Amino acid sequence: MTPLLVRSSLRYLVRHPWQSGLAVLGVALGVAVVVAVDLANASALQAFDLSTEAVTGRTTHQVVAGPGGLPDDTFRRLAVEAGAPAAAPVVESWVTAGSDAVLARRHGGRTLHLLGIDPFAEAPFRPYLAGLGAASGGRSRTRVDLAALLTRPGTALLSGTTARELGVAAGSRLALRVEGRAAAVTLLGTLEPQDENTRRAVADLLIVDIATAQEIAGKVGQLSRIDLILPAGHDSGGRDRSAGGAQTRPAGKLRPPGSDSCAPSSPDLSLRSHDLLARICAALPPGAELLRAAARRESTESMTRAFRLNLTALSLLALVCGGFLIYNTITFSVVQRRTLLGTLRALGVTRGEVFALVLAEAALVAVAGSGLGLLAGVALGRGLVRLVTQTINDLYFVLSVQGLALPAWTLAKGFALGVGATLAAALGPAIEATTAPPRAVLTRSTLEARVKKALPRAGAVGTGLLALGGGLLALPGGIALAFVALFAVIVGFALLTPLATVGLMRLARRPMGALFGFLGRLAAGGVVAALSRTAVALAALVVAVSVTVGVGVMIASFRSTVVRWLDASLSADLYVTAPGRGGGFAGPTLDPGLADRAAALPGVARVDRIRRAEILSPTGPVRLIAVDRDVLHPGGEHSGGLLLRRGDPAAVGPAFTRGAVIVSEPFSRRRGVDVGSILLLRTAAGLRSFRVAGVYYDYASDQGLVMMARRTYLAAFGDRGLSGFSLTLAPGADADTVERALRAQLQATTEGLTVQSNRALKRASLAIFDRTFRITGVLRLLAGLVAGIGVLSALLALELERGRELAVLRANGLTPGQVWQLVTAETGLLGLASGLLSLPVGLALAWIMIFVVNRRSFGWTVQMETTPRVLVEAIVLALGAALLAGLYPAFRTARTSPARALREE
Amino acid sequence: MYHAGAMAGRDEILIEIRDLSRTYEEGGRERTVLRGANANLRRGEIAVLVGRSGTGKSTLLNLLSGIDPPSGGEVVIDGVSISRLSERERTLFRRDRIGFVFQFFNLIPTLTVEENFLLPLELKGRRGRVPPAARQAALDLLAEVGLADRRASFPDRLSGGEQQRVAVARALAHDPLLVLADEPTGNLDLETGLAVLALLDRLTRRAGKTLVMATHSPEVVGLADRVFRIEDCRLIELPPAAKPGSPA
Repeated sequence: MTPLLVRSSLRYLVRHPWQSGLAVLGVALGVAVVVAVDLANASALQAFDLSTEAVTGRTTHQVVAGPGGLPDDTFRRLAVEAGAPAAAPVVESWVTAGSDAVLARRHGGRTLHLLGIDPFAEAPFRPYLAGLGAASGGRSRTRVDLAALLTRPGTALLSGTTARELGVAAGSRLALRVEGRAAAVTLLGTLEPQDENTRRAVADLLIVDIATAQEIAGKVGQLSRIDLILPAGHDSGGRDRSAGGAQTRPAGKLRPPGSDSCAPSSPDLSLRSHDLLARICAALPPGAELLRAAARRESTESMTRAFRLNLTALSLLALVCGGFLIYNTITFSVVQRRTLLGTLRALGVTRGEVFALVLAEAALVAVAGSGLGLLAGVALGRGLVRLVTQTINDLYFVLSVQGLALPAWTLAKGFALGVGATLAAALGPAIEATTAPPRAVLTRSTLEARVKKALPRAGAVGTGLLALGGGLLALPGGIALAFVALFAVIVGFALLTPLATVGLMRLARRPMGALFGFLGRLAAGGVVAALSRTAVALAALVVAVSVTVGVGVMIASFRSTVVRWLDASLSADLYVTAPGRGGGFAGPTLDPGLADRAAALPGVARVDRIRRAEILSPTGPVRLIAVDRDVLHPGGEHSGGLLLRRGDPAAVGPAFTRGAVIVSEPFSRRRGVDVGSILLLRTAAGLRSFRVAGVYYDYASDQGLVMMARRTYLAAFGDRGLSGFSLTLAPGADADTVERALRAQLQATTEGLTVQSNRALKRASLAIFDRTFRITGVLRLLAGLVAGIGVLSALLALELERGRELAVLRANGLTPGQVWQLVTAETGLLGLASGLLSLPVGLALAWIMIFVVNRRSFGWTVQMETTPRVLVEAIVLALGAALLAGLYPAFRTARTSPARALREE
Repeated sequence: MYHAGAMAGRDEILIEIRDLSRTYEEGGRERTVLRGANANLRRGEIAVLVGRSGTGKSTLLNLLSGIDPPSGGEVVIDGVSISRLSERERTLFRRDRIGFVFQFFNLIPTLTVEENFLLPLELKGRRGRVPPAARQAALDLLAEVGLADRRASFPDRLSGGEQQRVAVARALAHDPLLVLADEPTGNLDLETGLAVLALLDRLTRRAGKTLVMATHSPEVVGLADRVFRIEDCRLIELPPAAKPGSPA
């Protein structure tokens, strides 16, 4: 390309600011959404990594146990009897910290991770504590000696940043609330890590001595885990340490999460290490397990994988809409310059140079759009990270994200995606430009004739893609394959759009003529006559609106399924849960005596106790719910609050009472267990098998749940703690009166217990449901916005290009008002057509999302429900977007003097 | 630069048209525009193609320039059978050796007059570089067509006659062997058209270039050394006495 050709291209872009600007905006928005989602996901993962690193440090293995924790004595046995070279006991819990006034408020205070450590055993484990007490060489500057935690009970260390945020300093008292109980510590000093990563990692830690932690957490005599550093050779899946000491990455291939290093054939071990490991395993109590630290991290990280993948796929949809926009803009720029390109070809510019010219223009748009997209993505990411964190907290585990991570790789990937998508979208028009014969050029009629000729081919390719998508959906496979199929279906439908539009416009011609006379017929004819422009705009709008319909139907179906499930499963009248945040799935515990006292209240017919616990198993941690109630009785599929998915309803109830378990649908899918399977769980007495009697519908957790009779649980685990209990009232009892009496009784003994009526609990559950789908809604909106810009750009291009045609009509007596009507009728028809076409496409997308993507990602069965409202909304949205996008072109065309328009041509 | 080769090899054959045919497909049927055309044109000759609209004048120009490949026969220019060249080779041949003047001027709207004018030189130059001497010669030519003071203007600021003068100068700027003009006065009034014709005639004759011009304006015929007409898809050379407008 010569410098003059480059200059000519640049001037073209500058002379068409609307066109160029909209193209840049389209790319920028697409990139921004992808980058924002990626950054939000990366930030959440980084925060998770940092917090994991903060509490695990250089630990290679961990000894863990079930709900009852590890006896104190285990540490001595490991260190002394087994001769573990480096071992450190840990007590963990979650506390709420703040001033007394702040803590008095229901949701006041800041959630902190209470980490109880043994100051003498700590040195090799957590680098940010390594320097404490030493004269120099530590990674963290602090004014205290770690050993002072031991000598001065009730004292704690806190990150300097967090201390300043909470308004406390060394020597200050910090009020805490733990599971409804009040506690307090005195701040011994602050941690001031020198590097940013460590600073973030320790931001939520409250470090105390083991004994203090046991006292605060109510775990006297118990350890949460014992950290070990085993010599190299014990673990092929260990971690490498970054310079900052807080970043980790798995080195080498990891074994499945939860894999048991005490297994006799463990590939982790060198021969030399077998002895040590055998001693350690022999020293463990029956309910304990030795796990690789990396495996635990992997297991937790994998929980959110499907959620993050779904967000990424939704964000890519926005980029697809952006791709349509670019295709449209570049095609228009080629058509607009058909004479110019023809002249250049006649002057001796080769096809390759024309191709390079068009691609270079697209590259400029791509670079500008992607650059802007990165900036916007970072800004948008700050908002999205809150929504992502909220969802992770609601659904998976406690996570506190201190800020947006900006990994260079994510930014580079977003930029490359933007440039790649733009160039890919520009490829078609660039090739089109080179095939235009010199001088004969691509006249408008030639182009339209070519588009019409290509319709059957596009239809055939579209049908082929639909068949391919259908075939891929039928294949067993992961979520990624489902998304490939989803994208094939979307593009397939987009390719069928022009053919469908021609059909629709033929149908519309007569009624439009009857309604609006010759202008109506002209408008219907205009849409088909300018198919080269309208088809792409329509396809973009159909894709965007169908995504809106699809996601809308999916959320609505999901919501009504959850409502039905809540109605069925929440059958008691009042629910009491332990206060406090954090603590993972198991959460805080209640004094079992509270349930007994509640049962004695007048008007209470029965009390059902619930215990949530995370149990160890050879296939990773298992979320278990132990219930008092006979949840399933013989005599019906739906009884006692649960809906059975599989299993003989008559047999499940008695089997459950006798010690069998039932598993939720996601659990069955994730772990590959079904009715009749044997589930191995690590109980206080070691591994024990439980028969699976049934699979039930459940939407509380995509990780899956195991339900067990509380009697069976007590026998197996010996854990008497309660996570909550429910009250069923006697017939005729007044719910309000009982609730008041219950509150009065409970608050006399325990602060901050949550008492909710059946209706309030359902409302709260649905509020969480709505909150978790908020980010989906935001992404749906953004995809719609990109498509809206695409439609605006396409209609602008279409109407500007038709300037002469409209000027001829004006010269022949069409009033400016009639031009308005004509343009508006055309854009309205486009909107209506895309609205109508988006309905079947949207429903197909909803079907795929509900029955394939959701099933493979989360394992839930959702009943698809289509409400007329969602469908009407889609048509109104498409019509509105098209009419809105047609406003400026209509205004501009009506105002332009016909003489000028004719002369300009 | 455009003086190079002037009057050299005046009797040498530059263009050989051998049994040239062109057929198009329209609506599933074949339509022949040109059949078995034969002619030779010498260096420095000015040839005019006359005939009504749609008889195939532009088609022949497209075949001569290599824009359009023939259905049969061949075109040999300066010893090169352009019909046997690949599309890319034909484009490069056109870039180096042919200048174009179009009916609708076809200046590049996003380039100034001077830039439009220098574009063929840049295309011909190595890596888009224009040697200073060639640039100066081209600018002299621009001055000669009377538009030196408009060199920084964009085409939409020029009148039709001015635009066509720029186009004429552009066609000659890179010292081509052959200039093809398709209805160069078709979009101008009579007076302006005559002025442009005079300019084209003067510049091509002085530079010794071969000019093939398609027109249906009888005034042009007076400038021509040879006149051709396409009739019933055949290329016929008119004898001097039978030139349109000549006394019978």
